[in-house]
Amino acid sequence: MPKNDDSLVVALPNGRILNQVSALVRRAGILAEPAFEDPNARQLRFATSDSNIAVIRVRSFDVATFVAFGAADIGIAGRDVLMEFDYHEVYAPVNLGVGRCRLVVAETAELAPEDDPTKWSHVRVATKYPAIARRHFEARGVQAECIKLNGAIELAPSLGLCRRIVDLVDTGATLKANGLVEVEHIADITARLIVNRISLKTRPELIGNWIRIFRDLVEDGETLSAS
Amino acid sequence: MKRYEFVRETTGHPMTDPTTLLPAGLRDVLPPEADHEARVLSQVMSCLSANGFERVNPPLIEFEDSLLAGTGADMGPKTFRLMDPASQRMMGVRADMTPQIARIAATRLRRSPRPLRICYTGLVLRVKGSELRPERQFSQIGAELIGNSSCRADAEIILLAAQCLRAAGIEKFSIDLNLPTLAAAVCEDLDLGSETLRDLRAAIDRKDAASVAELGGQPGQILGAMLLAAGSQARARESLAKLNLPPRAAALRNHLHDVVDLVVTADPDLPLTIDPVENRGFEYQTGVSFTIFAVGARGALGRGGQYRIGGAADEPATGFTLYMDSTMHAVPMLIEVRRIFVPFGTNRAVLTRLQSEGWTTIVGLETVDDPNAEAVRLGCGHVLLDNTVAPVPGKVAG
Repeated sequence: MPKNDDSLVVALPNGRILNQVSALVRRAGILAEPAFEDPNARQLRFATSDSNIAVIRVRSFDVATFVAFGAADIGIAGRDVLMEFDYHEVYAPVNLGVGRCRLVVAETAELAPEDDPTKWSHVRVATKYPAIARRHFEARGVQAECIKLNGAIELAPSLGLCRRIVDLVDTGATLKANGLVEVEHIADITARLIVNRISLKTRPELIGNWIRIFRDLVEDGETLSAS
Repeated sequence: MKRYEFVRETTGHPMTDPTTLLPAGLRDVLPPEADHEARVLSQVMSCLSANGFERVNPPLIEFEDSLLAGTGADMGPKTFRLMDPASQRMMGVRADMTPQIARIAATRLRRSPRPLRICYTGLVLRVKGSELRPERQFSQIGAELIGNSSCRADAEIILLAAQCLRAAGIEKFSIDLNLPTLAAAVCEDLDLGSETLRDLRAAIDRKDAASVAELGGQPGQILGAMLLAAGSQARARESLAKLNLPPRAAALRNHLHDVVDLVVTADPDLPLTIDPVENRGFEYQTGVSFTIFAVGARGALGRGGQYRIGGAADEPATGFTLYMDSTMHAVPMLIEVRRIFVPFGTNRAVLTRLQSEGWTTIVGLETVDDPNAEAVRLGCGHVLLDNTVAPVPGKVAG
């Protein structure tokens, strides 16, 4: 679809944080058509109350990619996704404060008591985040062999795929249920408003205004009370 | 032989012609794109030369030591290297032409009168492309003004870049002005730990004003305000003027404001934005810098700014460069070439007359029964019949 100067495509992530994110987007004044709230809808692209604005719903990892390539102008993505891709063409101007969790290294509970992470020179980890994991271990002088999985990471150690994982942790219940304990903290994660660099530079007023709207929402503390 | 086929089958690769596949990031440019890019390059080149910039042409390969010295230092990881069998020294294929221009200005043209205005175009090669920018080989074109660091020199280069973009037919572009050294100037004299500085830098790169304000105390407040100031020229300048800056930072800001005044006076319609603390991609710039963006192109079309050329005199210089891989995405396809089919046996003088009238002539090598059909087959919108130009029936003029 050809874009005119006022058109705006907003990319939102399916999954874990969609509910919190869509509440935020509604408060920002972007009202998507009813099908957007329907989890069974096959539709991927939704019209909004503003004829210039369309919303797309994609996998959380793909939000960053859509925005980096300019297919979407703005989006909402977790800091984990942004760290993994480290796209040059994406700005993350607003920390939305929702979807709070941690990115950690965890290992099996049997291994943990006698394991000393400072002695590692090589680790094998299962993870959704091979780039972050590699960077993290490299900075500590540890060579990391990363096995890329797309889900059920916590299952990998119990079946002998590896002994350690790098994954998101919210309450820690999933780790515990799978006999894993957290041994290293990599980063604190929240959802961020992201914008395409070229959209911001070629349409500074329009995109800048959306950044201000989300920034004001966060500063008003409305997001905290709602989450 | 048998073994080779066996391996091929198990890996599941379809049988392909090994002479077709090119290495990643490299491609054959075909008609009409190849011609199109050559025309755009020549239009930009004429624009540069009309403005008094004289062309230099450095070699594609030179010794690594000179290629990666000074402004070339950051190109190390992007540079292809090979051993020179003659001198047994390591050579590099240029990944950026600017360091070569700086070298020429600092050495062979050191006695030429200043300001020295030179321009260049050529191919560069890079070890790796990125997902967003897969091209490993592309043309670069640019101009450098050496020996002057005034705001007039900065303004001349920005206005020249805009003139070149318009000459190339690009309408919807915008120039983003930056001061890559400003953040450091704001932070100087403050004892921030290296970890705080790194986090600050990362937050600035993300444009996260809230985190910047939290991180850096008093300078954080200023940097946060600068991030919020980013936007169209008039708005940004107003916000920047209100800030109370340390002396070196204030001098940078005032220089930027003078440059903007000169540019806006000379070219009021030029879309100009200011993003004071942006420093992505400015590895060696020391003063006012800029990035060129356009609607329809995926990455920056080019960039420019002030730097020092190195060498004994280490003179100040400012310039800009366009990357043709991204620039071509923003250039509208030119008006279609007017191709005319000229049947076999037509007098040579007729051909030259048609060509001087702007026709591209496609000559028949043998007599054909139906010149109209032959014209269509060869992609011509017109045909020469009885020494008269006639549109091909059923075809829109072209």
